[in-house]
Amino acid sequence: MLKHLFVAATLAAGLAGPASAACSFQNTVPLKTLSAAFEAWKAVTAAMAECGNVQSELDQEFRRKQPAAFAANPALYQLGGVSNGTIVPLLSAGTIRPLDDLVAKYGQSLSPNQLIRVDGKIMAIAMSVNSQHLMYRQDIFAELGIPQPKTYDDVLAAAAKIKASGKVAYAMGATFKPGFDIGLDFVNLFLGFGGTLTKPDNTPAFNGEAGLKTLNAMKAISAYLDPEYLVSESTFVQKQFQQGKIAIAHLWATRAAAMDDAKESQVVGKIAMVASPAAMAGGKPASTLWWDGFAIAKNIPDSEAEAAFRVGVAALNENMVKANNGAAVWLIKGFTPARAAEGAIATAMAGAPPYPSTITMGIAMTAIGDNAADFLTGKKTAEQTLAAMEAAYLVKAREQGLVK
Amino acid sequence: MNGRTFGWFVAPSVVMMLVFIAFPLVFVFVQSFHATQSVFETVKVESCTPGFLGQVCKTEERTRPKLDAAGRPMTETSFIGLAAYRTVLQPDAVWAALAPGGGGWDAVMAVDFYRALRFTLTFTLVTLPAVIGLGLLIALAVNTMARSLRGPLIFVSLMPFIVTPVIGALSIRWLFMGDGILTAALRWMTGSHISMFAQGWTIEVLMLVYRVWHVAPFAFVVFYAALQTVSQDALEAALIDGASRFERLRYVVIPHLKPLIVFVALIHLMDAYRVFDEVVGFSSEAHRISLQFLTFNLLTPDQAGNRAVTRASASAMLTMVGVIVLLVPILLRTWREQRGRA
Amino acid sequence: MNAALRLPAGLRLVIGVFVIGWVAVAAFPLLWTAVMSFRVPADALSANPLDVLLGPRTLETAGGVFGIGVTFEHYWAVWVTQHFYRNLLNSAVVTFGVVTISLSVGTLAGYALARTRSVLAFWLLVAALVFRALPHSVLVTGYVPAFLNSAAWLQPLWDWPLTGWLFQLFSARAPTLYGQPLAVIVVLVAINQPFTIWMLRSFFENIPAELDEAAQVDGCTPFGAFWRVIMPVMWPGVITAGLFSFLLAYNDYLVTALLLDSQSMTMVPAITQFLNRDSRASEQIEAIAAAVSITAPLFVLVMAFQKQIVAGLTQGAVKG
Repeated sequence: MLKHLFVAATLAAGLAGPASAACSFQNTVPLKTLSAAFEAWKAVTAAMAECGNVQSELDQEFRRKQPAAFAANPALYQLGGVSNGTIVPLLSAGTIRPLDDLVAKYGQSLSPNQLIRVDGKIMAIAMSVNSQHLMYRQDIFAELGIPQPKTYDDVLAAAAKIKASGKVAYAMGATFKPGFDIGLDFVNLFLGFGGTLTKPDNTPAFNGEAGLKTLNAMKAISAYLDPEYLVSESTFVQKQFQQGKIAIAHLWATRAAAMDDAKESQVVGKIAMVASPAAMAGGKPASTLWWDGFAIAKNIPDSEAEAAFRVGVAALNENMVKANNGAAVWLIKGFTPARAAEGAIATAMAGAPPYPSTITMGIAMTAIGDNAADFLTGKKTAEQTLAAMEAAYLVKAREQGLVK
Repeated sequence: MNGRTFGWFVAPSVVMMLVFIAFPLVFVFVQSFHATQSVFETVKVESCTPGFLGQVCKTEERTRPKLDAAGRPMTETSFIGLAAYRTVLQPDAVWAALAPGGGGWDAVMAVDFYRALRFTLTFTLVTLPAVIGLGLLIALAVNTMARSLRGPLIFVSLMPFIVTPVIGALSIRWLFMGDGILTAALRWMTGSHISMFAQGWTIEVLMLVYRVWHVAPFAFVVFYAALQTVSQDALEAALIDGASRFERLRYVVIPHLKPLIVFVALIHLMDAYRVFDEVVGFSSEAHRISLQFLTFNLLTPDQAGNRAVTRASASAMLTMVGVIVLLVPILLRTWREQRGRA
Repeated sequence: MNAALRLPAGLRLVIGVFVIGWVAVAAFPLLWTAVMSFRVPADALSANPLDVLLGPRTLETAGGVFGIGVTFEHYWAVWVTQHFYRNLLNSAVVTFGVVTISLSVGTLAGYALARTRSVLAFWLLVAALVFRALPHSVLVTGYVPAFLNSAAWLQPLWDWPLTGWLFQLFSARAPTLYGQPLAVIVVLVAINQPFTIWMLRSFFENIPAELDEAAQVDGCTPFGAFWRVIMPVMWPGVITAGLFSFLLAYNDYLVTALLLDSQSMTMVPAITQFLNRDSRASEQIEAIAAAVSITAPLFVLVMAFQKQIVAGLTQGAVKG
């Protein structure tokens, strides 16, 4: 078993870049981890495996499994990959432990910026920040004489020109798959239009001016997409870019490095990574800042928690970052912002808000993600769609006891 | 066989079905009348998240579940009667839609449950005759082939049936999605670009075709087996009476196959009614959902980690009522048969 | 055969065209997928069918035979670097368990149901029919929390002196059922039971009751009669029922995806994990190669048992 892991780890590291140096300590406690499956996690879990006795499960559907697996006693995984979205269920179920004592004991290499504090207690360790930002084909933009888009109006104007030029199959790509993907696109724009999703009494406030503007902006974008946009998630858009089928998309920073991967991409060096456009002139970028990191389960013996924490911290080392510099916008020493990180950094610097880790946000995202497509397909009007979102939110919130 | 021996013979089977099917079912039934809510508190919380250069800390009012001494969220369970059923069925919305000027059919279809029910019933009732018809045609056709050809033909015909459903759906999807090979072929033939995954009806057609492709071989092999036992005497007698080829099929072969047609129809009704793999395999949830998918979706934790257990239980119970309605004619037939033997 | 029964040439032609058409429709998607698995991503995902068929870029980068590009790199990646054989072993364990338990339990029940006239048997069959029709997601999602927390709620059985000694023979503490192949086997057997007993009941009804009655007159117990008289003649029906159990267990996605973790994962849910992590095009082709690998044993099996399936069905394993 150990040998397989070692082979898998070195191979994974080999795929992501030159092999990183071995782990700083020898782990003897059998550990299991569950996380998402994008490049940064492939790199970090490979680094964890080098410490020994670590078995990692990478699954883009981890979101579905994690709450139940951590609620089990004993928990099925000691270490979980989390982000500001996925930590919410774990926090509200109380299934992850505060890390203050472990940070004091083993966390000397961590910078204060990495410590995720909730109610004063450290609940997770961040490794990277991530955000969606604008990517576009600079060669096509230059050829048609289009400047970098600063607002969504600019984006749509650029898309119209590109569509008219016929240089690519579809001017734009977008992650409009129902559920999380389309939900986040809505939220990004909605916040960008100055909206607030919920009122102080936890009732929804989607159905207003910001909501209407958001839906109409999404509808305008959808005219430039591959008509199959409702099955399109990040990987789909990434491939559209790589195969030269689209010219503009608002996509995750973690996907940026793949654009310059010569083995996969036909557009190496042609994609510009810039800040997200504002929803309205003079506004902040219509995007939210995310962090990725890890948390430790509560329902496990302290000795396992200690080992898991040490493995997690050891994996976030300088060598791993250097070997996988392009895979994420790391918060770890050794990171030198490269081309792939430019967009995310610009977005963060221009003041995009962090994605809020709250229960109401989680419920709102679900209600929005399940209903937004109905407007794009023409099944409902904008007002009906927003009303349906609010109704879905209220049903859920009442069920949970959040709204009386 | 006396009751005691009968009991011993069926006990293992019955125990398994009781523990793993009947018990969960009762549990689901009870659950559909009860709601479990968390106890929330609103507190001022300071939380810090990383920015690119420095940390961003914010103090704000947040609603969060109250944890008990053991660190588990406190919950309250209460009896809610038919409230969950009302949320699923939305009778008010239906009355409003059906009232004059209320939006009619489209407005009813805006409710997820009816949308799922419409698709599930269409799916079941359209594929049923298609599967039986195609299966019968293939069986009759293969039965006329030379004996040496039949083995390979049966093998190839069974391929769509034995292949793992998820993989079958994926392979069809690979052929059609984006610039898949068959989408390209369709464009070449029709001259216009048809995106199979861009609108509801094309996905629905694809799902129907996929299911027929997948199940027709089962009908085929059952019918083919039965064709081997058609009485040659009866066929020849019909021939002597001057029956045409079609009449022999109609009056000798089909009556012989009738119990098997009922059997295939029964199995297919049950399987098609709980259509699920197609919705996942073709990612059709934006356009078409089925009843089982609706339940599954409600049970999937949302972004806040909650499962809508009560509503899912109600929707599961309603789905079951539908199955039973579909099965009643066949149950009655079994009942008469059993009575006839007793 | 009577000359008058022979088909006229026109009809033969129509039937021939129909059969060829059906064979193409039945085989094409699977064959095409198989071809894709031997090409590098640039060819496999190309919109030009000739690229997929001939694999020009595969020929350039990876070589080939007779001018057609062929690469085994995706199979190598799946089986060697990703250890897909472990999933194969898990699949083998689950499938073997489901088929053997399902048949032994189901044969007994099916036989008893065929030989009784009690009202109880009728209601049992009706219940089985309703159970057969139940949407699985309803059941399975009910199991998930119970399986995850089984260490907690099963512990009393281990602590209670009357049962504790027995259970402690197997493990010191109550196990977490989530991720245990055995738990999945039992669930799949239970889910499959209704269909198995219906099928076997119909089959046993076609075996004359006089056979075992005669044996019982000769002094056999009911079970002895079953063992000595029925067992030898029941194999065609049992093989057919077994094949359906096999297909259910081997092909299952919903139950295995929800109840197994990565170490005990069978092949079908494992493949969706391949797909879920496909941020590279080559990983998508690896998923296709894995899909082809899963399908291959099914073909071998059907080839081997094809005659018995038709025989089993002919002898009345399915009479509704």
